[in-house]
This record gives sequence, structure tokens and C-alpha cells, in this order.
Amino acid sequence: MVATITAFAFEVAPAIAILPLASFVIALFAGKYLPKRGALAGIAATGGSLLLSLWVALTVAGGATYNEEIYSLVTTPNTFDLHFGLLLDPLSALMLVIVSLVSFLVHLFSLGYMNDEGEAGLPRYYAGLGLFSFSMLAFVFADNLFMSFVFFELVGLCSWLLIGHWYREDAPPSAAKKAFLVTRFGDYFFLVGVVAIFATFGTTVFAGPESFPTLAEEALAGSGGAGGGAGGLSTFGFGPGAWFTILGFLVLGGVIGKSAQFPLHTWLPDAMEGPTPVSALIHAATMVAAGVYLVARMYGFYALSPTTLAVIAFVGGFTALFAASMAVVKRDIKQVLAYSTISQYGYMMLGLGAGGYVAAVFHLMTHAFFKALLFLGAGAVIIAMHHRQDMWEMGGLKERLPIPYYAFLSGSLALAGIFPFAGFWSKDEILFEALVHGIGGSPLLLGGYLMGLTAVVFTGFYTFRMVLLTFHGEPRTHTARNPHDLGWSVKTPLAVLGILAATAGFVNMVPVGTILGLERIELLHGWLDHGISGLTVEHYGELTHDFAGYTTGALAGSEVLTVLLSAGISLALALAGAGLAWMLYSGPNPEAHTERLGDVRTLLMNNYYQDEYQVWIAETFGTGVARLSDRFDQSIVDGAVNGVSEVSLLSGDRIRRIQTGIVSNYATLLTLGLVVLLLTVGLAGGWFL
Amino acid sequence: MIVELLIGLCLLGSVVLFVAPSRYAGRLAAGWSLLPLALSLFMYAGFSGQGNAFLGGQLAYETTVQWVSLGPYTLNWHVGLDGISMPLIALSTVLTTAAILSAWTPIEDRENQFYGLVLFLEASLVGVFAALDFFVWFVFWEAVLVPMYFLIAIWGGPRRKYAAIKFFVYTNVASLVMFIGFFALIFGLGDSIGSLDMPAIAQALRAGELGSLAGVGPATLKTLAFAAMFAGFAVKVPVVPVHTWLPDAHVEAPTPVSVLLAGVLLKMGTYALLRFNFTMLADVAQRYAAIIALFAVVSVIYGALLALAQQDLKRIVAYSSVSSMGYVILGLVAYTVYGVGGATFQMLSHGLISGLLFACVGVIYNTTHTRMVDDMSGMAARMPVTTSMFVAGAFAYMGLPLTSGFLGEYFVFLGTFHADFPGAAWFTAIAMFGIVIVAGYLLYAMQRTLFGPFGVATDHGDGGAVRTDGGEDADSGAEHDIKRAAAHDVVPLAMLLALVIVLGVAPEISFGMIRDAVAPLLTGGAG
Repeated sequence: MVATITAFAFEVAPAIAILPLASFVIALFAGKYLPKRGALAGIAATGGSLLLSLWVALTVAGGATYNEEIYSLVTTPNTFDLHFGLLLDPLSALMLVIVSLVSFLVHLFSLGYMNDEGEAGLPRYYAGLGLFSFSMLAFVFADNLFMSFVFFELVGLCSWLLIGHWYREDAPPSAAKKAFLVTRFGDYFFLVGVVAIFATFGTTVFAGPESFPTLAEEALAGSGGAGGGAGGLSTFGFGPGAWFTILGFLVLGGVIGKSAQFPLHTWLPDAMEGPTPVSALIHAATMVAAGVYLVARMYGFYALSPTTLAVIAFVGGFTALFAASMAVVKRDIKQVLAYSTISQYGYMMLGLGAGGYVAAVFHLMTHAFFKALLFLGAGAVIIAMHHRQDMWEMGGLKERLPIPYYAFLSGSLALAGIFPFAGFWSKDEILFEALVHGIGGSPLLLGGYLMGLTAVVFTGFYTFRMVLLTFHGEPRTHTARNPHDLGWSVKTPLAVLGILAATAGFVNMVPVGTILGLERIELLHGWLDHGISGLTVEHYGELTHDFAGYTTGALAGSEVLTVLLSAGISLALALAGAGLAWMLYSGPNPEAHTERLGDVRTLLMNNYYQDEYQVWIAETFGTGVARLSDRFDQSIVDGAVNGVSEVSLLSGDRIRRIQTGIVSNYATLLTLGLVVLLLTVGLAGGWFL
Repeated sequence: MIVELLIGLCLLGSVVLFVAPSRYAGRLAAGWSLLPLALSLFMYAGFSGQGNAFLGGQLAYETTVQWVSLGPYTLNWHVGLDGISMPLIALSTVLTTAAILSAWTPIEDRENQFYGLVLFLEASLVGVFAALDFFVWFVFWEAVLVPMYFLIAIWGGPRRKYAAIKFFVYTNVASLVMFIGFFALIFGLGDSIGSLDMPAIAQALRAGELGSLAGVGPATLKTLAFAAMFAGFAVKVPVVPVHTWLPDAHVEAPTPVSVLLAGVLLKMGTYALLRFNFTMLADVAQRYAAIIALFAVVSVIYGALLALAQQDLKRIVAYSSVSSMGYVILGLVAYTVYGVGGATFQMLSHGLISGLLFACVGVIYNTTHTRMVDDMSGMAARMPVTTSMFVAGAFAYMGLPLTSGFLGEYFVFLGTFHADFPGAAWFTAIAMFGIVIVAGYLLYAMQRTLFGPFGVATDHGDGGAVRTDGGEDADSGAEHDIKRAAAHDVVPLAMLLALVIVLGVAPEISFGMIRDAVAPLLTGGAG
């Protein structure tokens, strides 16, 4: 009986993705005629997905896993197999719950943000949300890298559709284009990577004895010292280790694009042009999360290559710091959140690179909750402020909007990493992993650790600057004195996420567990350590140890001391940043202190001129080369053709003669003639026997 | 006899339309074109061929009739289909119907002749893909040029005469070069063949029965013939640097003709390359694979860069066809299942998608009377359905998964990356960069024309675009006459889009038979 229920849960699992697809179709074709223009279909579908995801998660908690092909795209014997399949293990089950929950709440919130505000194009909007949820959910349970790529790209399409939702204005379509193009640039490398992984291993399946991480591991283990022989794999003239590193980097291109890591982060702040609930969805659970999730999904492959891990950690740490510094001077509430997203995903990358698989997944989860909360909270503020987003026009909203305030505060405490909110536990664990592996023999990781640590100060500062400017002090404008009312559909998601942002961290209290010697308290660690063999935390630990040389060090030889010190330092720095914000912005009428930064402010306001140089590159090597090619084509290539014809066939005289009107009669005659000719010859020749 | 029936239906339709009154020509042509469409789909559904038509496979719908003897050679009427030609024939009939429907609005002059020529074109196209005797094939091959020439020269844009003549001369010179190359092989084979039957010739060539000709040894002769035929077919494809007729022809041709030109006519080139160069002279193709791949990669990247530089929507799609056809050549040279099969699938997919995009551009042009990116913006507000189709088509062109465009390219990449020729992985990786450039120019074009505040520069040159605000379903664009497209304009778009998605989700519908026909070609057995 238990077995059949388990089997049934997995049987219906594809519906987790298919339900939102159905809502996409309904909203697209029938949205116009529906009472809420497709919103209800979306809510029902994602609500259904959430329930099914929870069911799957419970089933997985019972120890069952699922790794099956469900639809074969091409069945070609003796060559690569392109199929869609389902991989349901603790990681994907957890992510399915997160994605469907956030998606459900975003749909709900949209009732207040879009429907009640009388926005146009609602069927299109809900169709986009449905497609987005579908793509992301299918991406999450993908059992092979090919399928991941398919839905990774669809996620890109959805972001384009939704960021450009207000297409009548100039900025949103431009931002949508940028988001798609920048991520596509990353996806180019991903695509080469997928094709190369097919060519190398003959498969892109994630799990099982015939999966590419396992084959790679065997190849590396087999070729130890012998050089060359990679277990019959074609490594294109490279040594297996070097080749796997290249493959890792190629796939990483897609990750850096989608997860907005330096230097491909430039699309994300522009993407704020989309409706705010969409920003919540993109940042918390779908597009941006997709990149990091992909690394976690194929962690068994990345763990084999120390170079790739180091680069992931370094890019992550740098991005965390770099983005956090830009968030410090922003005036627009959504811009602050945008840069904080980039920064937080930097932490996750740091965690993954530093061998902290659990820590990164943990932060992926807590971040999903508190970032969705912050964006929806910002959305609530934006509704209340009649679609103004400049924090300097706000102030004093605390009394007028109590529920959004407390929810937003909960999210902010989590983002800043203040004990005991969710972000504290997860961010601290990432920094802890980077620290212990750094002192344990991989000193490069300490660079990432230090950057991550510095970013903590900035995070504390910009988060509380945002809270103080928005909610505290005296209202600075008429609108802030008389904010718009908020409906239940706005408040409910805030309340749910507010509670999660405060409490989600308790699932993996590493410091508490270490100090008390209660490893069982690290629930998430335990959760991710069961399931399909080869995809467990323990296995990943062995891999990073054996192949990347990660060993756990401790300060002064004491694990407890290290944990305490690590947590203490990051908490102290977060509080320092928050305290600085309090000092500068807490009065009833705070002043803008950013002017004092002088040239640094200009640099930060302009985002280190990242956009400028990327546009310059695109224009020089894209448009510029294109123009040159065009001129070359018309003058030289076509010129040669015309030159030849000029002297031979097409002398001007002849053209003129052809142009004299009788051509049309020729047309009829010639065609008819040919038909008659063919018929006669055919009859005479006995075609029609 | 069913192939003859198909061709006969098209020809009969052509004759009927020529004598029909212009007033009813559009509806009559559309109705009539459903007959070959239905017949080809019926043939597709009942397709039972196995293997490759040129390599002794079992053909579907085969007819062989001895016709006349010409010196030592017998000329036969020999037609038959395998898994490569069947999808292309279906593509021809589908696109003909789509083109006819999309011609209803723009073609207002001598409609009967226009549709008559289109149906005649359809007959010739079917003939090209079905013929197995060289003489029959060549007659159809040349017969395609005639209606195409007149369709451009009569119903085209301002420089139509120049474009039509350029097209005609360019492709005819190419045919001549190809013809010489092929006949060098025929004469080199000498007595070992008794007819111009292409499968027999292919098998004789592959069996190494080629002798010397005029003192030139078989190996050199093969290489020379290969070069001549490659050059000839490359014009049709077109491969850079012999592509310059294409943008001119597309820009001047009326949109429905562009649909057929990009959709099917270009595929004649790659189809012929596959049948002649890559089947008959496979050993030469494999020896010079790297050079051919170089042509392919240059076409992909250079074509895409040219598209990036264009301002005319039609030129953008035209140059991007050069780019997309480069993928086909790249796949052919790989000699793997996914390579050659993917190339064939890409022909099919590109036919549908480029047809869709050209038709969309046409629908917009019908109402704006401009195709320049700078002359319009915010069309989405006035033409929501057309815009949706354009967006979907453009993303399919960019290779969005779950559309056929993705699979066509993906198959090719997958097949070529690990191919045997030197540098295959590098060529593939460079060619793949095309997917970024294509996204660049299509997204740019869409952003400028479809989105942003609404405005169209009028023909009267009154100084720039006039902005008008409108609701989501505004039908009040009276001052510019920007109206929603008529239903019959949208039907072909929806039809093509549906096929693009169906093939993207269930590629096996075509890829199954394609793979079956391609497999015997891969003597090396490279997966």
C-alpha cells in the first residue's frame, strides 16, 4: 500500500509543471473572458503544484526517490538520446516546494498589484507567469542536462515576456532585450557545454551509474598518473582533468548569465522595469535561482575540478562584494533589492565553490523566502505610494502600513544576516565553509571568504538604509502621508513569507549543532544526505576532498571555537553595517549622505561603468563589425558580381529592353507554353500509361 | 502514380487559374492548393519507404517508365520518395497554401496569373524533390526558375527587374556549372551506366566505377566534378560568397513569393548538395570536409553579421536565411546521424520558420507600407495577434527550445561537434555563436518595430512618426489606417506556427523517416 502511494506520488509529479502550463494556455486564449483575466487559473494551478510538490517532498522524506524518463524526443539507436525525464530527490523536491510556493504567492499578490490597479494586458501577464512557473518547475525536476538547457532557455523567454510587459513604454522592451541577450551570451557557452558533454560521455543524465558525473569520476580515478586514458572517453586532445574543467567552465557560462554573476550581472538591475511581482519571481525562485540550482544539481561534476571550484568561489565572493557596494547609494527601492540579489547569489556561488553544498542550497532556500518577501513588500509600498519607487519620497510608512512594515523588517533582518533570522544561519554557514576549507589547505578560498565578509558590512548598511528611508522618520511627500490602501491579496503573501523569513533558518542551525554536539539539529544537512547514491552530501564531501583537496581546518584546533568565531564575526559586521545606517539615517528627517562620498558616489551610481564598457564592446564588435561586413558585402562581394555581369550579360541596354512592359505577356505565354510542352512530350513519351 | 497525381493537380490548377477571372483567383487558388496539400499529407501519413532513395532503399510511391532512348542512354520517368524527399514535398505544399493565403491582401493586380504561376512553381518543386532520373530532375530544376522569375519581375518592388534578372542569371549560370560537373561524371562512368538514373549513378560512383575522362584520372575528375557541382548548388543555398542575389530577390519579391523563396527554393540547393555531392561523391566530401565546414561557418557568422547591419525587415530575414542555411551545410559535412539528419530537419524547420517570419513582415507591410525598422514603432498596440506571431516566429528562429528551430540547430551541433574531420569541434563551437547574433538582430528589430510608443512614419514624408495613444484593443488607428490584420492574413501564420511547435515537441514525426533515409549514407558508421 505504501509502495503504491509512493509510486502514485511520482506518477503524478509531471503535473507539478503541467498545471502551470495549462494555466498559461487558459490565460492566453481565454483570459480575456475570465473574471480575473486568468489570475484564478494561475492561482489554482500553482496552488495545485504546491500541494503536489509537498506530497512529493513527503514521499522523498520517506526515503523514496525517482529517476525515470518520461518523454523521448528522439529515439535514435546507437547515438545520443534526447529525452525529458524526472529526477526527484531531496534537492529537487525541496526546490519544487520553494518554486511553487513563491510562484503561488506571486500569483496571489498580482491580484492586488496588477488587477486592482487596473493594469492592461492581464491575460498576457498571467500567461507569462504560468509559462514561467512551468519552465522553472520542469527545469528543477530535469533528469538530464539537455532538458535543463531546454527549460533554462524557456525561462529566458519568460523573463523577456514579463520584463517587457509594459511594452508601450521605451524602457521595458529595452530592458527585456538586454536581459535576454546578456543571458543568451552566457547560454552560448552552456550550449557548447551540453553538446561537448554529449560528445564526451554520450549522455547528459545527472544521476545513476551511467550519468556523466559518475563517468567523469571513474575516468579521473582510472587515469590517475597514467596520463591520457580516460576510460574510453573522447576528451578532444586534452587530459581528462583539463577537459572536464573546460566542460565545467562552459556550463558555468550559462550559470553566470542567469544567476547574474560578474561580469554578466548587468541585465538584472535593468530588469526592474518589469512589474514588481515578476521581479519577486525572477529573483527569488526562478530565473536567477536557476543558475545556482544548476551548479548544485551537477555538483558531482564540479566537485571533480579544483580549478572550477576555485573560480566559482572567487567569482561568487567578488560578486557578493561588488554588487553590495553598488546597492549602498541607490535611491530606487527596487534597485537596492536588485543589487542585493546579485550579491546574495554571489554568496551562494561562494558556498558552492568552497565545498559548502548544503550551505549554498540552504541559502538558496532562505533567500528565496526573504527576497520574495522583500520584493513583494516593496511592491506593497509601491502600490501604497501610487507607483513611486524613490525612497527619498517615502518615509514614515511604518505607522500607516504596519503589516508590510513588520514583514519587510523580518525580510530585512534576514537579508542583513541578523540573528536569529533565516539569512543569518545560511549566510553564516557559507562563510564558515569558506573559512574552514580556506584554513584547511585551500588558502585561495580565504580570498573569497574575506570578500564575502566585507560584503556583510555593506549588506547590513544598505538593508537598513532602505528600511529607515522607507518606513521610518517623517513622511517626506504628500503621497507618503496618505498611502493607498492594501488588500488582503497583498497582505497574505507578506505574512506567510514574513514568518518563513524569520524561521526558515532553524532547519539547519550549524553553530548550535556543533556547540551542543547535536548533529541531528542540522535537518537540511540530513535531508540532502539521503536519496540517490552519488547525489548525497557525503559523496560530494568525498569528491571535494579527493579531487579538489578540500580538508576541514579549524582555528586553534577547536571546531567549536571556529564556529563561534565565524558566526560572531559575521554577526558583528552585519550589526556594524546596520548601526552605521542607523547613525546616518535614523532621524525624523534624514539627510542624503551619499554626496560625501564624492567621486566614489559617481562611480557607484554608474555601477562601475560596467554597462558602458559592455555596450561599447557590443557596439564595436557587434554593430561595428556588422556595418563593416555590410559595406564589404555590397561593395566587394556584390560589386564583383555586378562587375562581371556588367561586361557580359547585363549591359544596361539589355535591361532597358526587358523593362519595356511586354514581360508580363511573356510570363503567361512562357508558362503556358512550358505546360503544354511538358504535356505533349509526356503524352508522346508515354508517361501516362 | 500518386506522385504524378500530385504534380498533375498542381499543373492543372495552374492552367485553371490562368483562365479563371481575377476576382475569384485568390479564393480559387487557396481552395485548389488544399488538394495537393491534402494529398501530400495523405502520402506523408501512409509513407512506407525505407532507406535512402539513392542507395538502394525501398522507395515509396515509385514509378519507373521507360521513355525514350538517347544515344547510349535511356531516359526514364523515374520518381519516388524516401524519408528525405517526403518531408520536403510536404513542406512545399504547406508553404504554397500559406503563400497563397498571404497573397490575398497584397496582390491586387492580375491575380489569376500570379496564382497560376505559384501553382506551377509548386508542381516544379514537387518534381525536383521527387525526381530520380537526372533528365526529369533537371527539367523540374530549371522549371522552377521560370515562374520565380516572373513572380519577382511582375509583382515585385521598385527594383524588381534588376532583382529578377540577377536571380535568373545567377542561378542559371550556376546550373550550367553544375551541369558540366555532373556530365563530366556521366562521361567518366562510360559504359557502366545505361541511363541517367540518379540512384544507379550514385551507386556506380560509390562502387568506384569512375574511369578517366580526357586524360584526367578518376580521383581528380571526382574532385573537379565535386567542386563544379558544389559551386553550382552553393548559389542556390546560398553559401557566402555567392549569396548576393538573395537579399535583392527577397526585398523586391512580393512577400508571398519571399515565403516560397526562403521556405522551399533555398532547400533545393541543400537538397541537391545532399543528393549529388554528399551522396554520390561522399569520399570527396569527407576528404575536403574542413574546407566545406569553413564555408558553412563563414555563412553562419557573416550572414548573421550582415543581418545585424540591416534596417529593412525583409533584408534582416533574408540575410539570416544565409546564416541558417550555413547550419545545414555544417550538418551535411559531419556524416553523422544527427549531422545529416539534423541538416535535413533544419531544412524543414527553416522552411517553416522563415516562411512564418516573411509572412509576418508581409502582414505588417500590408498596412504600414514600410518595412524599415526606423519607420515604425509600437505595432504591438495595433496588431496584437500579428505581433504575437512575429514574436513566436522570431524566438523560433533564435532556436528557442520546444520549437523546431531549436532542434534543427541542436541536432546539427550535436552531430558535428564530434564528427571525424579535423577541427570539427572548433567549427561547431564557432558556428554556435550564431545563436547569440541572431538573438541580437531579431530582438533589436522587434524592440524597435513592435514595442515602445506607437508611431508610423507615413509615406507622405511629413516628418517622422506621429505618436498616438490607444487602449489595449484600440481599433482607432484611423489616421494611419493601421488596422488589425484580416483573418485570412493570420491563418497562414497560425498554421506555420502550429507546425513549428509540433515539430519542436514531437520531432520524431519527421526525424524518424529522415534518420532512416540518412543512415545508409553514413558508411563510416560514426554514430
